[in-house]
Amino acid sequence: MTPDDLSIALPLLILAIGAILTLLNGAITRNQTAGTILATLAAIGAGLWAMKVPAVVSAPSLGLAAGGLTRLFTVFFAFMTAAVLVLSGRYNAYRGIKGEEYPATLLFTAFGMVALASATNLLIIFLGLETMTFGFYLLAAIDRGRPVSSEAGLKYLLMGVVSAAFLAFGISLLYCVAGSLDLGEAVRLTLGSAVAPVALAGWACVLIGIFFKLSLVPAHLWTPDVYQAAPAPVVAFLSGGSKGAAILLLILLWTNAAGLAGLRVPLFVMALLSMLVGNLAALRQNDIRRMLAYSSIAQMGYVVVALIAFQGGGLRAAAFYAIAYGIMSLAAFGAIGVLEGSGCGQTLDDYRGRGFTHPVAGGVLAVAMFALAGIPPTAGFTGKFLIFASAIRAGEYALAIIGILTAAVSIYYYLRVVTALYLQQAAGEERENIGVLATSILGLSAAFIILLGLFPAQLLNFLKTQLP
Amino acid sequence: MTTLPLLTILILLPLAGSLCLIPLGRHVQAAKGAALAIAIVEMAVACGMWSIAGGQPTTGAAAGAPPGFFLFEDYPWIDALGIRFTLGMDGFSLLMAIMTALLTVLAMLASWRTITERTALHYIFLLVLESSILGVFFALDLFLFYLFWEAMLIPMFFLIGIWGHGRKIYSAIKFFVFTLSGSLLMLLAIIGIYFIHGSQTGVYSFGLTALLGTSIDPTVELWLYAAFLLSFAIKFPIFPFHTWLPDAHTDASTAGSIVLAGLLLKTGAYGLIRFGYPLFPEAARTLTPLLLVTAVIGILYGSWIAFAQKDMKRLVAYSSVGHMGFVALGIAAWTPVALGGSILMMVCHGITTPALFAMVGMLAARTGTREIGAYGGLWGKAPVFSSFFLLFAMASAGLPGLNNFVGEFLILAGSYKVAQIATICAFLGLIVTLVYTVLLVQGLLFQEERQAFTIIDLNFREILLLAILAILAIFIGLHPGPLLDMLAMPVDILTGGTQ
Repeated sequence: MTPDDLSIALPLLILAIGAILTLLNGAITRNQTAGTILATLAAIGAGLWAMKVPAVVSAPSLGLAAGGLTRLFTVFFAFMTAAVLVLSGRYNAYRGIKGEEYPATLLFTAFGMVALASATNLLIIFLGLETMTFGFYLLAAIDRGRPVSSEAGLKYLLMGVVSAAFLAFGISLLYCVAGSLDLGEAVRLTLGSAVAPVALAGWACVLIGIFFKLSLVPAHLWTPDVYQAAPAPVVAFLSGGSKGAAILLLILLWTNAAGLAGLRVPLFVMALLSMLVGNLAALRQNDIRRMLAYSSIAQMGYVVVALIAFQGGGLRAAAFYAIAYGIMSLAAFGAIGVLEGSGCGQTLDDYRGRGFTHPVAGGVLAVAMFALAGIPPTAGFTGKFLIFASAIRAGEYALAIIGILTAAVSIYYYLRVVTALYLQQAAGEERENIGVLATSILGLSAAFIILLGLFPAQLLNFLKTQLP
Repeated sequence: MTTLPLLTILILLPLAGSLCLIPLGRHVQAAKGAALAIAIVEMAVACGMWSIAGGQPTTGAAAGAPPGFFLFEDYPWIDALGIRFTLGMDGFSLLMAIMTALLTVLAMLASWRTITERTALHYIFLLVLESSILGVFFALDLFLFYLFWEAMLIPMFFLIGIWGHGRKIYSAIKFFVFTLSGSLLMLLAIIGIYFIHGSQTGVYSFGLTALLGTSIDPTVELWLYAAFLLSFAIKFPIFPFHTWLPDAHTDASTAGSIVLAGLLLKTGAYGLIRFGYPLFPEAARTLTPLLLVTAVIGILYGSWIAFAQKDMKRLVAYSSVGHMGFVALGIAAWTPVALGGSILMMVCHGITTPALFAMVGMLAARTGTREIGAYGGLWGKAPVFSSFFLLFAMASAGLPGLNNFVGEFLILAGSYKVAQIATICAFLGLIVTLVYTVLLVQGLLFQEERQAFTIIDLNFREILLLAILAILAIFIGLHPGPLLDMLAMPVDILTGGTQ
């Protein structure tokens, strides 16, 4: 292992070793808090390492690379893990989720995400994606006190296994054609001048596997159940992290594959259906988590619009949206977790007046809702702006117009949350303190949402250097 | 002349002030006082700019300022997309800015006693709203304009939804969804013109001055303009996109109604004048008949429906639809006289309608009802209130010597040359307006008492509020010269190419 290899692999190593140490610590001391602190430190450490070490090298022997985009997303995933760990404390105490396996599994999941972000090899992609998903199977079902949680975990597992099978099968088909597992090689050899039908089938299978993680229609059926029943911080991580990782993977494929132009029609249909089904189904939900699940389906539809419009700078838009959506999810489900940790139910009626009893959590949730609805000055607005700009530039007028109309529809259900928070009266009026840690994490995520809305220049300039 | 970034300060002052109010949440009196102080300072600064304009609007023009703009600020912002933080002020923006600052102060005065719940938050939202409205009036970059344009909705949504009455939640959501859906298509059109301009010149910019010279394929131009027009027409509101307005007004608090009628409606007209017509002159000319017809329908329909209202607030709201129809008529005519009249009418409507809303609010706070049929004989019981009410009702009806008359006269005079039939129909609308106003005044003030209310006459704060507006109404009615001088140059520049 060369020093370069080590430098690239170190964030992964820190996360993995952190996870093992957390488990060991649990076995020896049985000290819950120490385990969480250890895990948080490991996550922060991995993030700081990725931030501090500028690396544009690749390690072919490991099947990893650490370009600028990878570094950016490594930092993003690592800090998100730390934030989720901090936010979990209160929620888990309320729900009675105990044990060192929770922070350790979170770290393993983050390991999968970072591996995915650094992968240059089809096998590493498979490993990363499945490590991540495996972590989420556990995390979704970790609340053993709630039968629905186990049910959701099982549902997620069954569907996830099918998608993993697709992914593995696709990769083996590609290997048949290309004879190489290296991503760049595979793309070059399979999507060259004449595309072999077997290779196209292989790519289609790989994409189906990824679209399941993104929960695009028609691979979306698991989403509402998992969002409804899994622990709220886990949903924040699932929604903000795993989708970001899947988007990043697609971006990496697209930069290599010149857009997989032959797949435009199926992608078009999926984007359309996701935007329509997600936004229309969300209108009818009364459970806030199910509503946000459908909203996430729709949001991923917008990302696919950006991918289709890759010639108009869509990849940059997709990368920006991955980060923006990650922070919005963290803010939304972080706030939901804090509120549920204070005994709030999951229906919209339970959220009545919470904006006044829980000023921070309610305020952050409202900011997240406005951001998801794409109202300026928020990251959600900038992201949608970039996506629609790329769509128009690439000549995808129909998608842009349908997208913006479904976005108009979506405003209604996001406003329902804000309405419940501030416009409807609750029975009680006492303010509740949610603690310094949760306050600061939620405050930071809201601040990032607004900062990315007002001053996106730095991130945009960076993405411009990384992506076409 | 000046190196201070005055426009940025004007936008940021209320915003920063509102942030300072957050820790004062528990100390209601202090929060109210601080908010009012901020608003008054803001008003002083805005009024002070009149002296910079000083009749010679070219002095102090910064480098690169478009013609007519005497204040201009331009900073890099999101350079990756060619978005700049560009603000400018000409005579038109100046009037709108002063009106914004003044009405914010008055909205605070009007809600001084009536808002008792979550008081500090109410003033915070008023200040945030002031910032975003000023941003709309100053922005010369389309992206920036759109940002303020949508940001405006958030504080207004809360102002209606938290402190409103009746079906306030329904009205707040209707307001938000209605106005935002229209703007979203404008966003696509903004992106569209950005790329058209970029592909022609190689310079990707959202700046208004840069985009003005873009030559667009007529069909595309029509679609882009239609998207802009839809967005502005909803805010305006032009028939048939007005249905959110009566609900929003009826259920908003008094301060909410004042700001909504006085300022938010003006942003629609402002956008059409500042962006819609100059950016898409050909398409605007093509669609002029459409605008004329809808404007006239708005005048007649608004006045006619107002006639049938039993709720005073709803009546004033529908009268707004009628008055804004006049503004639309003047814009559609697009002659210097009519356009000047439209802008003046925007100012006048921003004086009389808030005054009427404030007075309805004062009355309802005393008696608990807004039913016209419940009142009668106020002239004897509350003479001060009644005198003011008579004055503003007459101003609203367009009595010569009062402000609205000047605006309406200029609009009719300026439009007659280009659109006779529409002008004649609009004139008929004036008569209907007169009828319902007289009936309202008669029912409220002079008819025999119908329910025995004990009504305390206005207190000092209320008199102060109304007196400011009354002085302005009479002053503009008798001596509109200074305002028209201020508008002469921007209007000339705006209409320059079309006559």
